[in-house]
Parts: sequence; structure tokens; C-alpha cells
Amino acid sequence: MNECILVVDDDPEIVGAIAIALEREGYLVRRAYDGMQALELALDPAVKLILIDVMMPRLDGLSALLRIREKRNLPVIVLSAKSEDTDKILGLSMGADDYVTKPYNPQELVARVRSQLRRYTSLGDVNAEARQGILVNGRLSYDPASRTLRADGDEVKLTPTETRIVDLLMRNLGRIFPAEEIYRRVWNEDAFSCENTVMVHIRRIREKIELNPKEPDYIKVVWGIGYKMERHG
Amino acid sequence: MDTKWNDMDRQPEREYYAASLVKREDGSLREGVPAERVGRVKPWISFLAFFLGVTLVIFSAGNALSRIVWERDPFPRFVDDWQETDSFHTEVSSYLRDFLTIAVGGTPDFYTASYWTENDTAYGTAITEENPGILDFIWQRPRSAMQEDTGTVTYYDYGDGFAQSSSRPPAEPAKEREPDADYQHDKNVLYYILRNKEGDAAPKTYTNTKVPYNGWRKAPEYNFFLTFKDGKVSISKDGQELDVYGDGVYDADSLWFVPGYDNFPVSDQLEGVEVHMAIRKEPIRWYGVDYQTGNTYYNSSMYYIARNVEQSRNFYRAQVFLFSCGVLLLMVWVCLRKARVYADRRIASWTVRVWTEVRVLLGLIAAFMLLFEANWLPEFYYSFRDVWYSWDCGWGSLGMPLLRAAVSSVPALLFLFWMVWLVRNDHRYNPKEARRSLLRPLFRRLRARDLNRPVEKRLSRNWAAGMLALAILAAAEAVNWIVLFVRMIGYRSIHIDGVMLFIQLPLAILSIPLAFAVYSVWKGRNLARDIGRLADKVEAIRAGDLTNPLLMPEDTDLRQTVDSLNDIQAGMKAALEEQTRSERMKVELVSNVSHDLKTPLTSILSYAELLRQEDLSPAAADYARIIDEKAQRLKTMVQDVFEVSKAAADQLPIQMERLDLAKLLRQTLADMDAQIQKSALTFKVDLPEDPVMITADGKRLYRVFQNLIDNALRYALEGSRVYLTLKPAGGKAEASVRNTSRSELPEGVDFTARFVRGDSSRTDGGSGLGLSIASSFTEACGGEFRVETVADLFTAIVTFPLS
Repeated sequence: MNECILVVDDDPEIVGAIAIALEREGYLVRRAYDGMQALELALDPAVKLILIDVMMPRLDGLSALLRIREKRNLPVIVLSAKSEDTDKILGLSMGADDYVTKPYNPQELVARVRSQLRRYTSLGDVNAEARQGILVNGRLSYDPASRTLRADGDEVKLTPTETRIVDLLMRNLGRIFPAEEIYRRVWNEDAFSCENTVMVHIRRIREKIELNPKEPDYIKVVWGIGYKMERHG
Repeated sequence: MDTKWNDMDRQPEREYYAASLVKREDGSLREGVPAERVGRVKPWISFLAFFLGVTLVIFSAGNALSRIVWERDPFPRFVDDWQETDSFHTEVSSYLRDFLTIAVGGTPDFYTASYWTENDTAYGTAITEENPGILDFIWQRPRSAMQEDTGTVTYYDYGDGFAQSSSRPPAEPAKEREPDADYQHDKNVLYYILRNKEGDAAPKTYTNTKVPYNGWRKAPEYNFFLTFKDGKVSISKDGQELDVYGDGVYDADSLWFVPGYDNFPVSDQLEGVEVHMAIRKEPIRWYGVDYQTGNTYYNSSMYYIARNVEQSRNFYRAQVFLFSCGVLLLMVWVCLRKARVYADRRIASWTVRVWTEVRVLLGLIAAFMLLFEANWLPEFYYSFRDVWYSWDCGWGSLGMPLLRAAVSSVPALLFLFWMVWLVRNDHRYNPKEARRSLLRPLFRRLRARDLNRPVEKRLSRNWAAGMLALAILAAAEAVNWIVLFVRMIGYRSIHIDGVMLFIQLPLAILSIPLAFAVYSVWKGRNLARDIGRLADKVEAIRAGDLTNPLLMPEDTDLRQTVDSLNDIQAGMKAALEEQTRSERMKVELVSNVSHDLKTPLTSILSYAELLRQEDLSPAAADYARIIDEKAQRLKTMVQDVFEVSKAAADQLPIQMERLDLAKLLRQTLADMDAQIQKSALTFKVDLPEDPVMITADGKRLYRVFQNLIDNALRYALEGSRVYLTLKPAGGKAEASVRNTSRSELPEGVDFTARFVRGDSSRTDGGSGLGLSIASSFTEACGGEFRVETVADLFTAIVTFPLS
């Protein structure tokens, strides 16, 4: 533990609030208030993760991110007041590992930090896992053989029905399943007003695997069509 | 429009007759006497009194005036004694002249002699047996002095082509007749002619009575005696001697045209001549036949003079009587005139049925009658020509002829008056639309067809028609000029007659305005084309063309209008650009503001969270919770405002895909199941089992229905039912959320407007943007959103085309 996290934002109060939340969780926090400072501090090998705001004086967050990426490979979470999908995609494509929009839920932010650190530090080689037939999708890894799901390396406790749903979705990343199909394949029964039943189970799974169940990253509703497991890099 | 006209055509009578409104002169209406108080008879009595009164007044006054202005000297007619009239004086003078002619051995030309006085006045025509009328003094003077004696018939050329002839007995040798043969039978005038000239064989006498002249005065029938003796005329009437010669000089005022004046001395021929005349007080008609020749004599000129005076007197009396009757009737009318309105209206309701064309025809006939039948046109012509010839200015020369012409036909005058009255009455009580016309529907149809043509064509057609009319007028004017010129040259000197003065010269003067008209119409020949282009441009601007200005020649009459239109176009373009720019700026502003709001909001939320994790007193913990809750709501609102303004500016990114609306609704319900279950509402869901495929952005549409259901959960009456239905029909899918509102729904509120809530107190948890987001998102996805409220029933309806 005691990993060092660099928090960058031009608003000192926000930096302060994040620092307190992280320190309570036992992290060490280094503070920077613009892009140039962030560049300097990021070179310290002790820094294991960077939380960086986009709009900052001297050097904006995304430019700083690009230049840090040239020198170091470490998880970077971008904080932004821009909530548009396009902004999110831009941030992720420039090398951010996660994109959190302001105003965020501090607990969720901490959870995301923890998740990113776990993936970078605790987890083994992704490719090795893949070779053992383990399905990896972002924070999640599913072992079809043992029918176990891990999130950030921790095993998630699922009921048999939930396991069957996760099994279906993890084996078919990105594919959209109508509720009727999920019902038929999981329950082995003809589907009849199954939407609620399926939704209830999906909500429960989300609560176990998502960092913010209200804005899920993994199991998503495709409105008017069905449900899918979002593919993550 | 058409139906309205037809209705009026069908029911004009009842409508206008029944109305008890009377139109004032200024066009306003006042309340008339109510129909029930008037009765049925009174209006007609009133009208009859009016009609007869006006007719009698015009008739009598016109007749009297006509007589007065047409007779040379009307005033002696008012004299009681016929022996004091001009006619009598002239006639006596003529008799004396004839008798003196006889006395010196000549033969008087009875007819011409007695017909003509020095004034060339044709009295004679009035006092013959065949023509004893009193209104035959049409031609007071011969229009031209030409008089041709053909021996048997005398023609008088009055200069107007009308020849008036007066025949006289066939000419026979004078020797076979006594020179006084024509005078023998007429005992109204007794005469005794004596010629006792020295040197004559024997005194010659002529007389038509056996009674010697000194015994005449004993006969009571005779009261007027004239004696010519010793070169002097003496007259006694009713036993009194009259002063014949006055101051001894004959002039216009002298009554007797007899020799003996200083300037009309007795000629030597009359030496030894003595004439005695006696004239009956009350003349009668006398007849006589000369059996030698077979000639019949019936001249009784004194009788006719006397009778004329009496008839004239009776005539005036009758006119006064008629006039009084008329005035009396008019007084009756004045008393009942309010009731007459109803009769007038009734008449108007009859006249309104007469087609306009028939009216015009009747008017033309009336005009024709007046001008030709009643001789008005020639009357006016001669009146003016007399003025022109005589250059005699004043009432007698200009006013009198006009008056004479005007009253020359009293029936025509009456006819004119009642025609005008009928037309006025019709116009007063019948609105223009009620009038009937045969041609109007035709004109209307033509006009409607004309209106369908482009403005340019219409105008150029009108222009061509106007030009043609002007060309015809110009040609007529040219002919007039040529005729005028030829006529003037033809006389070899400047000679102007009435036709030239009153017709040709005014017409010639009209050339000047005509020339102006031709010039201005010709100048406007390009106007139709320019107006057409202008109209096209206006249409193009309406259709949205804001870039190309209208280019027209510099000298067009529409220069200012074209410039104004181009300015308007430029102004509209600038305004539109400004609007687009400001819309874009608004979105940018909202975007910036929401960013700027989010930063402090992040701090608030973060510290509120930290505060909650502190070990606080219960009160402080409660405060922290409230801060957190309100900050959360603010966060939602900031996001909503941002999205709504983006959607309003059409800048909301949307990803359209085919989806099943029924499934989407089921998913939404499942997603919100927890909230629905928690609420005290019952959801009645009616969704079709079959897919209802539409094309939309699923995420946005989810927000739409999420907001609608959220709205129902928030504002529906507790324990009531919420109906969610989806019906595909007519190529459209219609989804509706229906609920009973908890609070009263205000009327006339656009619920989709931003920050509008059914409950304006804003104490509930909503941002006021729910329906606004639902509406703008639906429209961004290509659907229709509408809200219907009936009492407290609130219905939101989302419609999408099926795909």
C-alpha cells in the first residue's frame, strides 16, 4: 500500500478534497496545480497514478498526459467538466485509462483509483491469463472453467442465475441480447413478460461489479433492443 | 362570399323593409318609428300625398312658368279688360291701316297685314280658326329675315329647317272683289270709310253695317269707338275719350301705331279720308260667304284676342289652384313623413329587383325622350345660338333661353324628377350588394379568372386596352381638328358658328389633356414588366431567397420601391444571420456557464461528502445531508439546462437507429421499477406484443420516457392510476402517458416550455425541465411531442413515424 498518487487541478480546493479522500484510504498524495508542475512531479517514480484535470493554465491536462505517456507507463484518470461522449472518447484515445466527469462522487472516484492501481500493480500478465482460457474485459476477468468472475482481481460472489447471465455476456462481448433471449438461455423457459426479471438480475450484477451502478461501464442497456457487455481494452 | 350574395339576392325585401332603422345623411343609422305604430295605411297616404303634391307643384309651376317665359308679353294677360292688351292695340292699329289703304283705293293684304307688326311678331298664327290655341307662339321672331312670296303661299324660313307656312285664299283678280271683302262679315269691328277728296267724281264709302256711324254709340254691344278725321285719330272707350298720341312722338311705349304723330305724320294720300270704327265689347265669332266667288270668311280676330285673354286668365287660375292643392298635399306629407319611410322602403324593395342593366336602359330612354321628344336639345341649341348672334347679355339673353328650354316640356320635367327620386330612394335603402345585375356575375367570373394570371400579364393587358382607347380618342380628335380647319378655311374668313363654338372648340381644347394622357401611358409601358419582376422578387423572398438583389434599370418608375425591397432583403438576411449567431452564442454561453458551475459544484459535493464522513453532532450531520442533497439537485439541473439548450439549438448529437419502441418502454419501466413500486401509484401499461419499430436515438428516447414517468410519479394524485399506452396506427406509433394531476392544472400554459410546472410554487423536487427535455429530445429524434390537458387529466403524447 501507501502508493503515491499525483493529483493535478487548478482548483486547490478540489485537489484538497481529493487528497483528503485518498489519504483516508491510506494513499500518499502529491499535489500539482497546473500542467507544467504535473510534468515535473510525474517523473518521480514513486508516483503510481495520476488524477489530472483537463482545463488548466500553462499546460492543459490532455497535453500533459501525452507528454507523461512518452516517459512513463502508469494509470492516468482524467477529470473533466466536459460531459459529452465526444470529450470522453477524446480523453480515452489520448491515453487516459479512465475518464471521470465533474461533479463526481468522491467515493466513486476513490473506487476508480483503487481499481486502476489494482490492475497495474496486483494483476499478473494479461496475456498469460488469456492463454489459460480466462476471458479478460477491462477490470473484469472471467474463468469459464471455474465459472468465477473477478473484478480488479477480487472474486465477485454471484448467484447461479447471475453467473449464467455473466457467462453468456462475457462469452459474447459487445453482442446485444434481447431480454427474451437471455431469459430463454438462462432460465431455459419460454419468455413471457421477462423484461422485469432480467432487469432485476442485471441490476444486481451491476451492483456487484460496477464502480457506479447508476452509470454502468460494463453491462449496458441498449434501449429498444436489449442488453450487452461493453468491450473494454 | 358567393353564398352571402345569393342569400341577399333571395331575401332583400324582408330584410330591408322590416328593419326599423333609418339611414341618416352621413350614413349612420338611427332608430325609426317602429313599424307597429305606423300601421299599413298611413305610409301609403303619406306617400300618395307626397307624390301628388310634388307632381302638382311641379306641373302647375312648370306650366305657368313655361307660359310666362314663352310668351312675349305675358303680363297683359293678367289684365281683366282684353281691350287693354298689346294684341288689341296692335290689331286696332292694323285695322285702321287696312281701312286707310282701302280708303285710298288699295287692297290690303289681309293676312300679312294683320299678321305682322313692326316687331315682326307672328301674332297672327294664334288667332285663326284652325289654330286658335294659346301656346302657339313658339317662334316669336323669324329666325332669319328671309321671306319669299310665291304668290299663293308664304314661306317663312326659320333657319332651323322647319318651314312654317301660312296659306291664304287662292289669289284672284282684285277687281272682282270689293277691297273690303275680307272685313265685311266681321261685325265685331264696324267700320265706315269715307273718301271725299276734292276732284273725285263722288265720295266713296265702304261700310259693313247699315246703321250710320253716328248711331253706333246707341248700341250697347259696342263700347270702343275710333274715328280718323282731319288727319287725327280719336278714340273713346266706354264713353271716355282716350289720349291717343301722348306727347305726340311715336316710340316703343306708344300704344297706337296710327298716323298723326309728329314723327308719323298723316300722308297727303289721306286727304278727305274719314274712318269710323266701333268694336264690340264682348266679341263673338262671325261668318260670311261671298256667293259670287264662293269665298268663305270666318276671320274674327277680336274674338280670339278676347278669348285668349280669358283663357289665359283661366289658365293661370287653374295653375294657382293646382299649386295650392299641391302645397296642401305636401303639408299632409310633412305631418306624416315619418310613416312615409316605410312606403319608401317598400318601393325600394321593389325597385331593387330591377336589374341594373334595365335601369341603365330606362335611363337612356328617359334621356332620349327629354333631349329629342321634349325638344330640349334644339331648344338649348337655339337659345345659345341666339345669344351668340345677338351678343345681347343679361337675363333675357342667357337666363331666359335656359329657362325656356328647361320648362319647354313639363311632362318631361316631371318624368325626370320621379326618375331621379326613384334612383335616390333605391340608393338610400338598398345596400350596394343587394342590387341585381345580369352582367355582374359575368364580370366577377372574368375578374376571378384575371386574378389568377400573373400580375405582369394582367397589367400589360390593361395597359394595351388603355392605349387602344387613347388611340381611338386621338384619332377622333385629329378628325375634329381637320373638320374644324376645313370649315374655317372654307369660309375664306374666320367664321365661327354655334357647332364650332360649342362642340368643336371644346373638343379641340380636350387635345391637351389627351396628349398628356397619351404621354403618361406611353411612359408607363415598361411598368407592367417591372411590376411583374417586382412581384416575382417578393415571391422569391417569401420563399427564402435572401442573397440575390433585384436588378432593374436605373430609370424605372419603381426605383425607390426596388431599392426599398433590396434593403428589406438585406435587412432580413442580416437579421437571420444575427439570429443564427446569437443562437450559437447562447449555446456557447450556456455551455461555458455550465462548465463554470460544475467546478465549484464539484468542490461543494466533495466537501459535503467529506463532512458526512466526519463525526458530527446529529444537527450538523443533518445540515451536511441537506447541503449534499441540494448540491446533487443543482448538478442535475445544470446538466439538464445544458442538454435542453443544446437540443433547442439543434446541436444535440444523436445516433439514430431502428429500435422497438414497445421494448424501449418495457425496459424503461423495468429500469424504473424500483421507483414505481415505491410510489403509491398504479401503472396501467398497455403495450403491443409485436415489435413497434421506429427510428430514433434510444438513449435520448429513454430520457424522454424516463422524464414522463418521473413526471407522473412526481405530480400524479396519490393512489391514482397512471396509464401508459402505445398504439401503432396510420403509419405512426403513438405512446402516451396519462395521469390525474395532484394539483389543479392551470389553463393556457405551455408545459413544454422551460422551467414551467403545473404547480408554480417550485417547492417540489423537479428542475422544471423534465417536459422541456422530453419535448426537445423527441423533436431532435424526429418525433412529435404534445401535451393535452382536460380538467386535471394530464396527457403527454409522443408520436413517431413507423419504420
